[in-house]
Amino acid sequence: MLRFVVRRLLVAVLTLAVISLVTFGLFFAVPSSPAKVMCGKNCTAADIAQVERRLGIDRPLPRQYADFVQGVFVGRSYGDGDFRQDCPAPCLGYSFRNNQPVTEIVVQRAPVTFSIVLGGAVLWLALGVSLGMVSALRRGTAFDRAAIGITLAGASMQVYFFGLILLYLLVYSTGLLPFPSYTPLTESPVRWAAGLLLPWMTLGFLNSALYARLSRAQMLETLSEDFVRTARAKGLSARQVHTRHALRAAITPIVTIAGLDIGTSLGGTFITETIFGLQGLGKATVEAVQFLNLPVVMATVLLAAVFIVAANIVVDVLYAVIDPRVRLS
Amino acid sequence: MRTRTRTLTGVLAAAALVAAGCSPTTDDSGGDDQKTKTQSGSISYQAADNQGPAKPVDGATRGGTLTVMQPADFEHLDPARNYVNTQQVAGGLLYRALNGYQEDGTGKLLLVGDLATNPGKDVNGDCKVWEFTLRDGVKYEDGSPVTSKDVAHGIARSFAPALNEGPHYLQQWLYPGGAYNASYQGPYDGGKPAPDGVTTPDDRTIRFTFPQPHCDLPYAAALATSAPVPAAKDTRANYDLRPFSSGPYQVKSYQRDVALELERNPNWDPATDPIRNAYPDSVRMTFGLEQAQIAERLVADGAADQAALSWTDVPPSVLPRTTGAGVADRVVKGPTQYNWVLSINTQRVTDLTVRRALNYAVDKDALLKVLGGQAAGSPATTLMSPTTAGFQKYDLFNAPVTGDKAKVAELLAGKRPKLVLAHSNLELRTQQAEALRKNLTDMGFDIVMKPIDNSSYYDEVGRKDNPYDIYLSGWGSDWPTGSTVIPPVYDGREIVAEGNQNLSYLNQPSVGAEIDRVRKLPAAEQDAGWMALDRTIMQEYAPVVPCYYDATYELHGSKVGNAVLSDAFGIISLNGIYVKK
Repeated sequence: MLRFVVRRLLVAVLTLAVISLVTFGLFFAVPSSPAKVMCGKNCTAADIAQVERRLGIDRPLPRQYADFVQGVFVGRSYGDGDFRQDCPAPCLGYSFRNNQPVTEIVVQRAPVTFSIVLGGAVLWLALGVSLGMVSALRRGTAFDRAAIGITLAGASMQVYFFGLILLYLLVYSTGLLPFPSYTPLTESPVRWAAGLLLPWMTLGFLNSALYARLSRAQMLETLSEDFVRTARAKGLSARQVHTRHALRAAITPIVTIAGLDIGTSLGGTFITETIFGLQGLGKATVEAVQFLNLPVVMATVLLAAVFIVAANIVVDVLYAVIDPRVRLS
Repeated sequence: MRTRTRTLTGVLAAAALVAAGCSPTTDDSGGDDQKTKTQSGSISYQAADNQGPAKPVDGATRGGTLTVMQPADFEHLDPARNYVNTQQVAGGLLYRALNGYQEDGTGKLLLVGDLATNPGKDVNGDCKVWEFTLRDGVKYEDGSPVTSKDVAHGIARSFAPALNEGPHYLQQWLYPGGAYNASYQGPYDGGKPAPDGVTTPDDRTIRFTFPQPHCDLPYAAALATSAPVPAAKDTRANYDLRPFSSGPYQVKSYQRDVALELERNPNWDPATDPIRNAYPDSVRMTFGLEQAQIAERLVADGAADQAALSWTDVPPSVLPRTTGAGVADRVVKGPTQYNWVLSINTQRVTDLTVRRALNYAVDKDALLKVLGGQAAGSPATTLMSPTTAGFQKYDLFNAPVTGDKAKVAELLAGKRPKLVLAHSNLELRTQQAEALRKNLTDMGFDIVMKPIDNSSYYDEVGRKDNPYDIYLSGWGSDWPTGSTVIPPVYDGREIVAEGNQNLSYLNQPSVGAEIDRVRKLPAAEQDAGWMALDRTIMQEYAPVVPCYYDATYELHGSKVGNAVLSDAFGIISLNGIYVKK
């Protein structure tokens, strides 16, 4: 187990190094000059050159990448003299637009996205998996058919459609719920939950549709397996057969998909964040792209990669926990 | 002010604000108001106008929290870097410049002393030496007094290349000819504490000595450049995040791109301030909502948003819902300082008859329709916008807004001029260009369209030898007089190889001579001079087709009182605003 985790971590670090190199190449080699965007209206060529020097983007690309890596591990500084800005490790860059180290921006934004995704995931997994299981066990009944119909509708809808409808119905026209907002969990758990209710409902409904359909199909398949028949033949109660034997087997592929889904979403849920006006990583990334705020783009892309890689490792470990046949070696 | 880009609906909206001087805009001020509107701006040395406290607003109540919802955070709050109208209005709550605008929302705009006891003394009567005396009792948030040395330091630091995003009037006037910061780059890294020509004989006096006369200095002194920054509190680039307050409010918390919270500066004394009433106890600015979300929330007027407003325009999709009862009275609309024109490259289109024909041909209505119609602006016939002091509407061509085909045919006399139309590749600009192409083709021109990437649009058309004949451009004044419209945009002597603002490349000695003459007039007499020159330029050279006066169309919640449009900034003013109980 330990060897497995260590090996996977090493591969993960390598993956991230490659991703950082590619991202760096892609974004820092773009033809439009971030210095020009930053410099503003009455900017001369000399001003632009000065901004480029301050940002450190006048240096050759390999040197810039070395600076970046150095910043991550030991910190770095930008500019000189009275305008020197220090960026302590782990320095993912400095946003001159925001006058903030990028690490600080990420630390501010990540909890918003985490809250949206984790709250939503609890809802969509609980709702989806239980709906799917119950449908499978009551295959062909009115409940099953209704569940399939609703989930088909849910799976066909998009966040920007369903979210706007919820906003219109529950916020704009009736005022039943406040417009979503983010309050840190540590500040007030009640306001944290109240502010995120709408995005959770939206993500919960839409994503649970997929999970319900998936877990129903998996469950049906498992229920027809030999080991389930054996369990029944041994005289186990229906409840034991369903939860201890069938569910455990059926859930493995769902864990894989859920892990990847959550990992991907943690990197930023731009559409959800935009619709509900929440300042998460997704919005930070898109805004940074618009303003050519490259250090922020770089950091958020890397962070998204970290989440996906980490989610993969977690899924693999969970596999071994759920399915005793899987050996981590 | 360089053009403002209208905010586009949709998720990419924020990007539009980058190069722009501002937040976006619209109006329905029904051309009618604008035709009759005459801006009555002036500089007031009257003691009554220059004395605090500000005149109370009828029915206003003190207290409450005002919310301002904006799509994007301010680029800068540092006074040296502050050059966008939303930032100027927000900054006005935090710091006071030498001068400021006293407005009552009816078009009466007075330039008065803010930190200074009056709008500046022209010491020798030649507009070269100006002296300001600071008011007694103006204090920073920590209770220490504001001194003239702090004003000098504020101006000095605006020379630093790292803080160069603000206006450069004072800097260029102090160091004319060439780059203003070639020899002085601010008080940093061993630079001297104040630029040449700025002296502080004592703690309450500041004196400017310019090599050339600048009679509109009182207006330049209303820009945030002259806001005081104590050297001991100067955090350089980080000052953007936490300006040291000399105004009625101070920064309580600021999370970039999320929210800026202001609370009262306990050391601000209303008796020293002739401009600000500062009724709300706190002001909360939130960032990151889409333009349409803001409008929807303000239309819905939910409990949490009743004391809120936004400086962003209501987008076309929400406009229809702003006309009903309960909403219409919460709309604030009117012209801004921006005017959009079709610049004609006079180096290429040398025939005055063709330029006149274009003035008869352009369908101004079609250009406005693309932006949402009446709410976005009204057809223009002048070079300056109706918000300019001394503005008098005139219409030399008297063509219908959709164009006068017969007159065009008569002028062109059978010829079919071929013109290259350059346009930004933004969606709305492309639609406008397409409308223009259709319209001009129908009127008897051959049009070749040349799309240009939006980020380099003004660079491209600002190149003297650009290969284009006509292109749309917007310009807004930096202060409400013609001196920041006519000279920067129509003085041929300012034409350089790249980065031009004179996009029609009009280069007429008679215009230059008249500019020089008007510039030397006392500020009060300049207004009429600029307006007359506006007309003369159109009459004799027709270097542009005035297309539309930009307008704003903003909303506020039902508990916001005295939300009036600032004529100086083209957005809702916060100086006399209050939260209803």
